[in-house]
This record gives sequence, structure tokens and C-alpha cells, in this order.
Amino acid sequence: MTGKRYGMSIDIDRCTGCGACMVACAVENNVPPAPEGATDRKGITWMRVFPVDNGRDGPDRKSVFVPMLCQQCGQDAPCVSVCPQQAVQVDPATGIVGQMPERCLGCRYCMAACPYHARYFNWWDPAWPAGMEKTLNPNVAPRMRGVVEKCNFCHGRWHAAKERAVGRGAREIDPADYVPACVEACPTAAIRFGDLNDPRSPVAQAAQQSGSFRLLEKLGTEPKIYYHSAREWVREIGRAPAGKEQVHG
Amino acid sequence: MFPWNYGFHWSTGNVLFLGAFYTVLVVVATTVASAILRARRAVAAQQTDAIRWRSDFHDLPPRDRVCRHVLTGEFQVRECPNAFDCRQCETHARLVALHPPEAPPESGEELLGMSFPLDRFYHRGHTWARLGPDGAVTIGLDELGRRVLGVPDAVDLPAPGTRLRVNGPAWHIHKRNRDVRVLSPADGEVVEATGGIGGDGYLRVKPVGRGFDFRNLLAPCEVKPWLLREVERLQGALSAEGVPTLADGGVLLPDLSTAYPQADWDAACDAMFLQA
Amino acid sequence: MDRQLIARGVRRCSTPQFLLWILPWAALFAFGLYCAGLCLVKGLNQTNMDNRFAFGLWIFVDLTIIALGAGAFFTGFLLYILKLKDLDAVINSAVVIGFVCYSGAVAALLVDVGQPLRAWFTFWYPNVHSMLTEVTFCITCYLAVLLIEYLPIVLRNRKLREVPGFLVFEFELHKLIYVLAGVGTFLSFFHQGSLGGLFGVLRGHPFAFREGLAVWPSTFFLFILSAAAVGPSFILFTTWLISKLSGKRLVRPQVLQLLGRISGLLLGVYVLAKTVDTLIWINRTSPGAGFPAQEYFAWQPFGTWILFAEIVVFGLAPALILLTPRLRLRTNWLVSAAVLACLGVALNRFVMTLQTLALPTLSFDRYLSYWPSWQETGTFLAVVAFGVLVYSFSFRYLLLFPQEREFRQEPAAQVSETAVMDPVGRS
Repeated sequence: MTGKRYGMSIDIDRCTGCGACMVACAVENNVPPAPEGATDRKGITWMRVFPVDNGRDGPDRKSVFVPMLCQQCGQDAPCVSVCPQQAVQVDPATGIVGQMPERCLGCRYCMAACPYHARYFNWWDPAWPAGMEKTLNPNVAPRMRGVVEKCNFCHGRWHAAKERAVGRGAREIDPADYVPACVEACPTAAIRFGDLNDPRSPVAQAAQQSGSFRLLEKLGTEPKIYYHSAREWVREIGRAPAGKEQVHG
Repeated sequence: MFPWNYGFHWSTGNVLFLGAFYTVLVVVATTVASAILRARRAVAAQQTDAIRWRSDFHDLPPRDRVCRHVLTGEFQVRECPNAFDCRQCETHARLVALHPPEAPPESGEELLGMSFPLDRFYHRGHTWARLGPDGAVTIGLDELGRRVLGVPDAVDLPAPGTRLRVNGPAWHIHKRNRDVRVLSPADGEVVEATGGIGGDGYLRVKPVGRGFDFRNLLAPCEVKPWLLREVERLQGALSAEGVPTLADGGVLLPDLSTAYPQADWDAACDAMFLQA
Repeated sequence: MDRQLIARGVRRCSTPQFLLWILPWAALFAFGLYCAGLCLVKGLNQTNMDNRFAFGLWIFVDLTIIALGAGAFFTGFLLYILKLKDLDAVINSAVVIGFVCYSGAVAALLVDVGQPLRAWFTFWYPNVHSMLTEVTFCITCYLAVLLIEYLPIVLRNRKLREVPGFLVFEFELHKLIYVLAGVGTFLSFFHQGSLGGLFGVLRGHPFAFREGLAVWPSTFFLFILSAAAVGPSFILFTTWLISKLSGKRLVRPQVLQLLGRISGLLLGVYVLAKTVDTLIWINRTSPGAGFPAQEYFAWQPFGTWILFAEIVVFGLAPALILLTPRLRLRTNWLVSAAVLACLGVALNRFVMTLQTLALPTLSFDRYLSYWPSWQETGTFLAVVAFGVLVYSFSFRYLLLFPQEREFRQEPAAQVSETAVMDPVGRS
């Protein structure tokens, strides 16, 4: 039995930038609300929707929303080999790049290594407003301060689906049982999820579709998140950045 | 780290990496452990004094470590490799065989206004050893040493029966808050500590084992060149801080310890008693 | 009152004067400890690092001071393995500087990681493919080696060596010091290299990524070379600085010139290698990853000037000065070149760490800036103050420059080369 290779396809043309995926992700994965003093660069957003425009002004200006998450690199993921203590590992059964916060030292080398900036550090102790801790997802362990975390395709849901399959006596999980929260939450069905090794899965088909692209393909990291847009300029965002004079960060 | 740890594989990378790590650990640990073991052995074998002298000698400025054959002009430059113990020096043996020590060029005992009787052998740390008719050796401080120290505040003499070793500490003199250790010119066992008061020697020493061996001491013909150099060194030590007048009319002051500030006098003691 | 502790034959300032010097540094150290404490107790939210700028001032400082501390291993290597006896004059100082640099770097790293109590995980579950694993192992081992090398210097203190056990142990350990020098060289070789590899392997950042030999990117070798090149320069500079601050002659000028020559030679080789590496990177490595190299320098303020400064101003220029015998003889030139070389390695480490992180990798990403918070700066200052304190105490109570004693008895004009002859050579 060959392992699965879970991947995602995101149709940028359908994304409205509503942010439902971000909320669903945070709720599903017990990401605590950002404390006072957190900036957008210090917050934890496994899924984050970036507004991107074509850089023109006036009527020529066009913009889209790009949901960004861990790209689940399929080939020598940059974050895996750099971790000094094997806290980042690829599950051969699913192809998911997993982060083990309980073994993480918090050196953040993986964050420096990730070209997609899809890794997040717990700068604060996780804290929920009184009463809100009752809404925590019991299937996902909250992470402590000082460790790194990132999208793992809702690994808690994978475990739940696995249990259900075992309950049914099946060897394989039912694809309908395992859908990450962002996929579920997207009102325009812009995000689809499935096994890239299964040619019948919508994701595998979307990956082959024309207009499909991945971010920074030339790095050779073989991301398993496929974006799609019918527009040429949108597909350009998968390429390396072009320098600009003095952009304030 | 260990084969039973999570994530360990017998892969080439792991074996090479951890192999190198453990090798380093073993080498470092062995080095420290063997230093400790050797140190314990040396302490048990009572080599502490010998090691202290070796260590002191190593710390002396190079110009204080010159071979005695430089003093007599046989070498232009040469540093003593044996910490002033010529008994084991092949070069010394060869040179002595080549030019047997001549009789003292002059029988006069006055050198630079100081009394240096030639009936005895001098040590480069300003002690002397004189063989008595009874086979025992008297050990004392030479006049230059006496003038540097002046009248001691206190003297720490070894108890009779103490074993002395060449270049080991023979006795200690306290002066001006300073503890000067005086190097022993000879091997032997202390018979009597006379303390230099009244008599001319500090200790009387009887031979141990094969008897006395004075090859490490300066022969009478070497005393004059040595002394000239010693006065030069003394002057160097004292004049560093701008007090150039060493002597009164070319003669050494009778008591340097009261004539110079502490730092200068300290430096003079270091230079004369070979203390690093 | 502490005169009994000061080495014979050297002069040190009075105790009150020493305390006056120590006091501000101690205050700075205390403030830095408070800052580090804040970071440890309240968490790294006290810093201005963030998810994008995951590394900041501390990593830059670690890389820089470890490069500067390379003088310890390299001087030890030259003295004990290659038998360059002249370097005996600075080896003690080099060991103290190395110890200060490495212990400071390790301390800063422990504040830098999110879960310092898990530091042992790296040893327990090492991922041998990670450059950081190599760095952690080697730096820890080398710090232990430095500590063992520092020990004899401490035990030679005038009062301590009166204890027979200390004296004999120091004597025996010193006989084996070449083993430690060898181990230190081996470890330094690998961790200086893997510190370079740290960024050279980042495939996700074509600005830093370099091709190389086997598992090591070219930065691995460049870091070794540059560290070995500036190590002696830093020793040269610190020796000169301490000589100025204390108003004492510490070593013969020939020793500094020798350090300068060694530094210049290696720096020259480094500049050459760095130039070749840069050309390969611009023309092959970076475009191959889809990143045209000229784009990096379009993000101001880091234009091509930074490349020019790194290679020419802080690389080629000091190398040429140090390799010119006439200029080497002039202290001003010698020291300036050494400082330039040290600044050059700092700039290189800055480029590799901070510029790498500042540059965007995604087209819709921004060029980011970062400025350390006062807590971060305070922690960094604690490392500096710690270094100054350890060095000041060492300089006062231990004999760091053996030649210093000779100058006391030797008027300046008479200083001459001491020739040591082969014992039996001319007999």
C-alpha cells in the first residue's frame, strides 16, 4: 500500500477574502486569541488570507485574496532537515509535514528556513478569556509558550476519521470523514482537499488543470498546495518577488 | 544519542556524527583524567617542589634563564633546557670535558665590594654550599643575597631530618611582608638549622644516597662573570622605575630592602631569587 | 589589599581604581540580567522578533562573537600544533577571549530559544542532518574544552598555585594542552563551519543558499576561513586596546605583526574565495532557484554597496594592509586593518542573518525591518559586560601576557628579539 499524499487546491478566483477559513482554523486548532500587544507579525494564523494587487493605480488596479498556509512541501521540506531535535517530521502515511510542539525547543530555525512564512511561534502563554476555554476543541492539544506550530491539515480530524474507519472495520478512511476545517468553512468552495495520489480526487484533478500553479516552484520544494487562477497576473504571484525601491515594512 | 532513543537510526550520518562526538568526549575526558592521575601521582611522590621550580623557571623571563656557559662566553645565546640542573645536562658535561674548569683566576675573595670566598660552590639563586671536613655540607646565603634582603624579619628553617632537593625550597625568609623562598643548592638531609645568625651558614646538610653532586653549582672560575651579570640584572630590576642609583661609589648598598620602594625591591627579589 | 593575588612582576592599578572600573560594567551586567530575566520569565514577547523576523540581534551577535572568538582555537592551533612559539605571548589572553565569547554566545542562545529547559533534547534526539545540531554539539563541547584550557591560567594565579594540588594539576594539564588544542581545532572547524552552513542550507532563502561540497554549502568553508582570518585580528585589536587602557606594554610589536600577517594571509584567501562564491551564486545558484540576484539589491537600504563594503572595504583593504610589511610596522595601520577585518566579519554575519530574513521570498510579501527591543539590547549588553568583567578580573589576577613582566625590567629602548637556541645545536 502506498501512502497517501494529502494536498489542497485553492481557487484564487473564487476566494472572496471573507476570512471564514481563518476563523474556522483557529477555532478547530485551539489557537488562542491574540493577546494585547500582538502585531500581525506576532500572531498565530495557520491560515492567513493575504490581499494581493497587481501594483497598478486607478482603474487598472486589480486585487485578489490569497489564502496562505503551510505549503506541505513534498520534497525535502526546508523545515524538516533543519530541526535539531526531530520535532518536524513528515508522516509517510499521509505526506503531512508535522510539527511536534512537545519536542520543540523554540529555536525558530524552521521559521527562518520556511520560504512561505507559514510557521508561527508562541510568543505568549496561550490564554483564553474566562468561559471561552469551554469552547476548546478536545481533540487538539493547545501549545505552550515558546514553541513553534503550523498547519497540519487538521491532524485531529485525521485521527478522528481514522477512529471512525477502525470502528467500521475499514482499513482506509472515508475521504468524506477527513476534511480540514478551512475547507469545510469556505462558503465559495474555493478550497478543496484530498489525496494527490488518487487521480480521481478533485485535488489531483485541480492540480492538473490549466491555470494551476504553486508558490516558488523553482525552489524545488514541491508544495502540495495548488493555487489556481485563470488570470495571468495572478499566476505571477507564484514567482519570486521583484525588488522595489524603499517599501516600508 | 543512544540506539534506544526515539529517532535513532543506524545510518551513516548518525554513526559518523555520534562517533565523532563520543570520540571528542572520550579524548577530553581522558586528557583531564590523566592530568588528574599524574598530578596525584606526582603529589604522592613528593615532586611538588620540583614541579614548582620547573613552573617558576618556565615563567622566568628568557634572559634570566640563560645557560651558565653563556656567562663564560662559550655560547652567544642559549637558554637552559634543564631548569638550572646541570647534573643531567649533556652539553654541560661535554663542555666541562672540553675545557676542564681552571683554577680561580684570582684568589681574591672581594668581588665588587662583596665577599665571595672561593672555598665553596655558588648556586644561581644566591646560595652556596661548602663541603666540611666531616662530609656534611653547609648551606648559606651569599653576600649579594644578604644585601638584597637585609636583616630578615623572620626565617622559616626546615626541621632537622627534612629532605632537601636541588632547586627545591631550602628555607624561607620573611621581609617587608614578603616570603622569599631560598632555593637549595644541594640534595641532602638537614642535620642542623643554624639560621645564619652567629654562624655563616643557614643549614648543615648530610648526604643522602650517593653523596653530594655539585655539578649544578658554579665553579669558582664562573663566579666573577656570573656576579657581573647578576649585578647588571639587579640594576635592571631596580632602575625600571626611575631610581637609577644602585650603588654608592660603585659599591652595592649594604641593605637594599630599606633603600628602595616596595615594588622595586620586590622586583629585585624576584630577579635575584629566581622567583617568577 | 588584593596585592597578594596579582602576579609577580606586573603592576596593576589600585583596588579602588579597579572597583571604579568594574562598577559601571557590573551595573550594566545587572541590568542585562534583568532584561534576560524578563525574556525568560515573561517570554520572548519581550523582544521585537516576530514570526517573520524569527532571528534577531542575538543570533547576529552569537555568530559574530563566535567568529571573533575563533582566535582562541586558531592561536592554540598555531602555537601548539604548528609550533609558532611567538604566539605564546598572547595565548592566555586568546583563551580568555575565546571563553568569554563562547560562554556569552551560549548564554544568549539559551535566552533566545523558547524553551531553554529543553536544550538537552538536541542531545537526546539529535537530528544529525541539521546544521544547528552540529553547532550545538560542537559549541557545547568546545566551551567545555575552553573551560579546561582556562583552568590552568586560573590555577597559575599567584595565590592558587601555592596550593600543591593546583600547582601540580596545572603542570600536568599544561603538558597535555596540545591534545586540547587539537580537539579545540577540530570542534571549531566544524562549528564555525556549521554556523555558516546554518544559513547556507536554507533552500527557502536563495539569498543565503549556496551550493557546496557533500552536505556542506560553500558558506561552511567561508565561515571557517573568515573566522580563522579575523580571530588573530581580534586578538591583535584587543591586545592593543588593553595595552592602551591599562597603559602597559603587553607584548613585543613583533607578536602583533605576526598576528597581523597571519590574519592578512587568511583574509586574502577568504576574499578570493568569497568573490568566487559570490560570482557563482549570482550567476548560477540564485537564478537557478528563480531568484535573479540583482533583485535582492533593489530593496533599499541594502543595495550593492553592502556587497562592495563586505568584500572590498572590509575584506580586500585590510588584507592588503596586513600583507604589506611596511604598513604592518606602523601600529596605526596594523590596528586599523585588524578592526576593519573584524567589522567585515560582523558585516558578513549581519548580511547572512538579518538581511536574509529582511528580504521577502514571496512576491506579495514585503521587505521587513526589525529593530531590537530594549530587553533584547539589554541582554546583548549583559553579554558584553560579562565579557569585560571576566576579562578585567582575568587581566588583573592572572598572567595573560607573560612578556609584560619582562618589560618592567627592560627599558623600552632595549627590547630586542630573544633568540632561543637549540640546546645542543652549537656545542
